[in-house]
Amino acid sequence: MDLLEIFDPKAPPRPIGIDLGTTNSIVARVREETPEVIADCNGAWLVPSAVHYERGGQAIVGTQALGLAAIDPEHTIVSVKRLMGRGADDAETKRLGTYEFVAPENEADARTVRFRVRGRVLTPIEVSAEILRTLKKMAEDELSRVGGAVITVPAYFDDAQRQATKDAAKLAGLEVLRLINEPTAAALAYGLEKKQNGLFAVYDLGGGTFDVTILRLDDGVFEVKSTGGDSQLGGDDMDRAVAEKLLEAMGARKGEPVARELTRTALDAARRAKHALTDTDVVELELPKLGGGDVTVRLGRDELEALIAPIVARTGLVCRRALRDAGLAPTELDGVILVGGSTRVPYVRRYVEELFGKAPLCDLDPEKVVALGAALQANLLAGTGSADEVLLLDVLPLSLGLETMGGVVEKILPRNTTIPTGARQTFTTYADKQTGFDLHVVQGERELAEQCRSLARFTLKGVPPMPAGMARLEVSFSVDADGLLSVKAKELTTGIEQVVEVKPSYGLSDEQVEEMLMDALDHGEDDLLARRLVEERVEAERVLHATKKALEVDADLLAEGERENIERASRELTEAMAGKAPAVIHARIELLDHATKAWAGRRMDRAVAKAIAGKNVDDVEGEVARAKGVETHLEEHARGRSGAAARGGE
Amino acid sequence: MSADPFTLLGLEPRFELDAAALEQRHRELSRALHPDKYAQAPAAERRMALSRAIEVNEAARALRDPVKRAEALARRAGIAVGETVEPKPPGALLMEMMESREALAEATAARDVAAVTKLGDGVRARQRRVEAELATAFEGGEASRVLPLLGELRYLRRFLEEVDAFEETLLG
Repeated sequence: MDLLEIFDPKAPPRPIGIDLGTTNSIVARVREETPEVIADCNGAWLVPSAVHYERGGQAIVGTQALGLAAIDPEHTIVSVKRLMGRGADDAETKRLGTYEFVAPENEADARTVRFRVRGRVLTPIEVSAEILRTLKKMAEDELSRVGGAVITVPAYFDDAQRQATKDAAKLAGLEVLRLINEPTAAALAYGLEKKQNGLFAVYDLGGGTFDVTILRLDDGVFEVKSTGGDSQLGGDDMDRAVAEKLLEAMGARKGEPVARELTRTALDAARRAKHALTDTDVVELELPKLGGGDVTVRLGRDELEALIAPIVARTGLVCRRALRDAGLAPTELDGVILVGGSTRVPYVRRYVEELFGKAPLCDLDPEKVVALGAALQANLLAGTGSADEVLLLDVLPLSLGLETMGGVVEKILPRNTTIPTGARQTFTTYADKQTGFDLHVVQGERELAEQCRSLARFTLKGVPPMPAGMARLEVSFSVDADGLLSVKAKELTTGIEQVVEVKPSYGLSDEQVEEMLMDALDHGEDDLLARRLVEERVEAERVLHATKKALEVDADLLAEGERENIERASRELTEAMAGKAPAVIHARIELLDHATKAWAGRRMDRAVAKAIAGKNVDDVEGEVARAKGVETHLEEHARGRSGAAARGGE
Repeated sequence: MSADPFTLLGLEPRFELDAAALEQRHRELSRALHPDKYAQAPAAERRMALSRAIEVNEAARALRDPVKRAEALARRAGIAVGETVEPKPPGALLMEMMESREALAEATAARDVAAVTKLGDGVRARQRRVEAELATAFEGGEASRVLPLLGELRYLRRFLEEVDAFEETLLG
């Protein structure tokens, strides 16, 4: 693999949108303001999320790999998404027993599932990266240069699952513009198509996950009110329910183990039957009988519906809770959007119609719609979109909390809080000369920490020794627009900012990702250097372009001497770009960043002033000037808060 | 204080807030500050936009919540707030709340939906009354009435959280 070959500096970089699904994945882009899926050379756009590892270690992705899943299940990984962000001892890991899992050797190893395939130890992140690489290649064949990607995740994905997805993209050499939630992406595709305002529910039943999102569409702002889901509920579960019945007909006794090949045959037949029963009332299946011979099984649509009813009913509970969280009755909704392959099942459509009291919208292909929305968002983020007024305001899907005395969770950010968001909590020492704290961050709705998802444990160290209750520590949590958490801590009595050691409970460390990156590249260090050079050049291009554009619009906000500094820094960066040293480019980018920072603050203030329609712009600018810039502003904010919110912690 | 949520959102500091105006202002400011609008900006600018978008979202969240809104107004008026500095609520209120909570615990244990709804409705009505009184206290500058009312509001809210939790179990 030669990265420099892919990097064609003359081709303009094109943003792409990726729906990385449990069963299938899709890549899409926007052409002439219309999103469209990208097909491979055979015209196929639906890429089965299956990865087969050949004897030599080479990975095969897609339809061919899916075909090998039945013949060679040990070396073929399907539905890897269900394992993303999962630990070695996770219940889900134990449930999917078709792979050879590697027992963790130490605590760090236990943070992620690992399987052994052809002597190689692999994480779900690496397997997902293979799928992403294939999608990236498809996009490059079409667009020659890919400029960045928006990748969709289930709305109900927790922090660990989101981080794992981002790491997979990094391994695949994709720049992630943003992770967005699948239902929100679908709403974007619908909203931009129809240009209508109102309250909508997005019902997204995929192969492995279920999500529901309630959102308001108001002149281009897609504001998520609430979201809910079940990351272990989907079409796979329907197949399993049908397969159990088929296995019975094949002569298997309930509760007794069945050969892996037979299970696979039954699951495949179940899926075919489910698909066929969308259009016909009854199907006949020829199946092998245990102990030899064949058996013909007749399955009616009514029987299928009886089998899947309990699964579909589980989605109803989630929907009712999401409506309740949004403070809405079903009748207040203006429309319901169907997303995901499993919503093709007629029973599901009837169920949704009854639940929300209105016929669902499904005029866009429910399988493509998420990828199309992702492509639209990628286009907007890359600045190539024309719909400048569009904005997605999404929420935190699951509450974030801290473990307190007795293992009880204290919520610091409730579910359905608009992101990006943050919270601060002040802690005090409980023992004389105590110099550290242990904190445990969890995610979920349960009362006890052990019942929630453990996200990170960390130790705050270096607290100056003082009598108990004297030292005060402020811990700030922030969740960015990707829904990812970061933590910072500060000792308030001395003002010492602590760099906190955050040990994620799940996932890979940055060093581990870097190592995998080295392994994935043929010539290790050389390739890595080449790749960094590409990345730094892309970033440099972006910064220079942004600066140039800002100079055209907001030059009047420049202070004395600023323009000269900015122009000099821009020139030096341009010179560095011609060179081959990524570190030099990086340093020059930082210099330009520094030169533009104060001016950027003033431009942001102007944007705020413009946004506050009806308010006198001079007033706002005056207020802002008094706020003495953002950094001071933030510090004051923190100080003011802690005084009032001071409280005892563990 | 510059980080007051009313100032941050450019809204008139009042307890009785126009909810629609708050939401509209939140959307307008999000359009100006959301990280998506700075995706192509230099790193320092992206960080700045992120922290300001967080501030705006936090401010909007605070103002939607009557307790936090009252706290913000109290702080503006120079009244220290927070459960550790506020005076202990009067014994009568504590007794009353204790009794209500016992009744609620009994009703939820018996899964007596009608009883829980009745208790919840009663406390919600009272919450509306307390909020109206708080609004009057703030408008009239009656600082001494603010903290007792705020304390009561906190108690009522904690009660309603339990009602909420029970109602959620009914959804399935």
